[in-house]
Amino acid sequence: MFCFSTSINKRNLIYGVFDSEVNLMSAVEEVREKGMEVFDCYTPFPVHHLDTAMGISRTRLSIAAFLCGLTGFCLGLLLQFYMMVFDWPMNIGGKPSDYHMLPSMVPVVFECTILCTAFGLAFLFFFRNKLGHGVRPDILDLRQTDDHLLIAFDADTLDLNAKNELVVILNKNKVLSTHEYVGQYAVNHGGVHA
Amino acid sequence: MGHHHIEIKQEKFEFTSRSKMLSVVLLTLGIILSVIGIYQLKANDAHSSTVHATEASANTHADAHETVAAGHGEHSKPWTTRFWANMLVNSYYFLLFAVGALFFVALNYVANAGWAVLVKRIAEGISGFIPIGLILLFITLYFGGTQLYHWMHYEHQGLKEGMEGYDKILAGKSPFLNSKFLFLGVPLFILIWYCFRIILRRLSLREDAEGGTTFFRKSTRFSAAFLVIFGFSFSTLVWLMIMSVDAHWYSTIYTINNFAVMFVTSTTVICFFTIYLKSKGYMELVSSEILHDLGKFMFAFCVFWAYTWLAQYLLIWYANIHEEVVYFDARLHGYFRPIFFINLFMNFFIPFLILMMRNAKRNPKSLLVAGSIILIGHWFDVYLMIMPGVVGESSGLGLLELGMPIAFAGIFIFVAQYCISKANLYAINHPYIMESATYDVGP
Repeated sequence: MFCFSTSINKRNLIYGVFDSEVNLMSAVEEVREKGMEVFDCYTPFPVHHLDTAMGISRTRLSIAAFLCGLTGFCLGLLLQFYMMVFDWPMNIGGKPSDYHMLPSMVPVVFECTILCTAFGLAFLFFFRNKLGHGVRPDILDLRQTDDHLLIAFDADTLDLNAKNELVVILNKNKVLSTHEYVGQYAVNHGGVHA
Repeated sequence: MGHHHIEIKQEKFEFTSRSKMLSVVLLTLGIILSVIGIYQLKANDAHSSTVHATEASANTHADAHETVAAGHGEHSKPWTTRFWANMLVNSYYFLLFAVGALFFVALNYVANAGWAVLVKRIAEGISGFIPIGLILLFITLYFGGTQLYHWMHYEHQGLKEGMEGYDKILAGKSPFLNSKFLFLGVPLFILIWYCFRIILRRLSLREDAEGGTTFFRKSTRFSAAFLVIFGFSFSTLVWLMIMSVDAHWYSTIYTINNFAVMFVTSTTVICFFTIYLKSKGYMELVSSEILHDLGKFMFAFCVFWAYTWLAQYLLIWYANIHEEVVYFDARLHGYFRPIFFINLFMNFFIPFLILMMRNAKRNPKSLLVAGSIILIGHWFDVYLMIMPGVVGESSGLGLLELGMPIAFAGIFIFVAQYCISKANLYAINHPYIMESATYDVGP
């Protein structure tokens, strides 16, 4: 099967399973207060403010959107100027074939801007989230696809003391169970959470 | 969202003597500037009319004043024409704020929107300016009508078919464009809107006192009725009052463009009042989330205004039909050319680029900058709608044009603050108040 990402390291994770997003949130907050980093959370539905609680910075997709739009804007202008002024000037309605015809270019420029922004963002979103055709979804635990929520930690970054502390916090927040996961299909999504 | 307990404390805006003073100072300053401006114009008029009179007596026996009043645009208009044109610009512009605020309240009811409940009372307060705006507008129309509208002057001439100076187009439009309909229709429509304002306000205040969802349901029904009536009557009003300054010309998208002006300026004014009240220590519950959404409205309707503006311009420019092109010819060439481009930049390009950023919509300072550009820009927009048709090439931007908006702003700020101070700042028993208080736009 074709795989999007080529550099897959084996992950060594510890994860806890929750049945309530409130417990998950408070667990994330407490863990981060202790100075430990959360590897990722896996939830079957979007949990509001989970990203800020995990310390994930805001997506930069909006900047990318602006740049895509600017590209589309310039391309649209260039396209029409090249065709209508330099390559094949046409007399339409007696309008001069120079910058005076700018108003008639606006709709096409607008469409090009939208087109480039939409396509650019869709592809960037898939690329940034490492989503592609045939990519194995990162499922640590089948319950994350149903009605349970997972919080995962990178075991390599935690020493024994921290691990013990972690278990205490998870238990305090009514974790159902804690597990270890060793595998290659857990992808850290980093900045962007849809 | 976390389970924070939010308590909505009732508060009331206190209309202090200091903020009353500010309005009074604005009003006096505006009046002083206007009076100086009028004296300057009068001096100019006296100068040019002596020149004119000697010319006229030398050449023909025609009365110079008759020619001026006939509005053929060959001679400079007297100062009174410019004065009434300014009155129309400002009374219409400031009335738009109030009407737009009422529209905003009704729209939120009908759309079942909860986010703006916290700032609802501000919008309601601003809409309290409607009767004052109507009085100012009616004075303008009644006393300045013949100088503002050349169709009204034509109507007073009472020409019959076949007579010299008979205008087929104006005669054809006379069932609609006549002074009776103007003097009856304008107050009637605006009073109907004001009735809806009274009803919505009363329901809202009773909801504060009694609670329950019945008032919300009733308000939603009245709002829906208002929106339908408003859509028709606003269009008619704009045709009657504003588009008819160029009575031979017409454009079907003109009223939608005016609607966009109304919406973008009134959301800006609501936003400004919210920021002002917050800076005075009121309305702590109104977070940057609500400012963000108001900013989105400002941004969106900047774009919408530009869209309708272009739709109007593009078709007329493209078709190049003589009787349509005159409208833009008067604005694109000659005195109004710089204002034509200032209008585009202040109302679209600059606020578009500023308000595009997420943080700009959440930060009061950048909202104030962008909003000021929008408000001044749309004043120029209305100026550009009215002045070329009424005053023509002899119009200008002098002390009169500076003073009059300041005076009107003084009245408007006074009335709006007075109305806001009359009720609690939060509609505490509104069913969606918690949604507004915990509102979150998302990442």
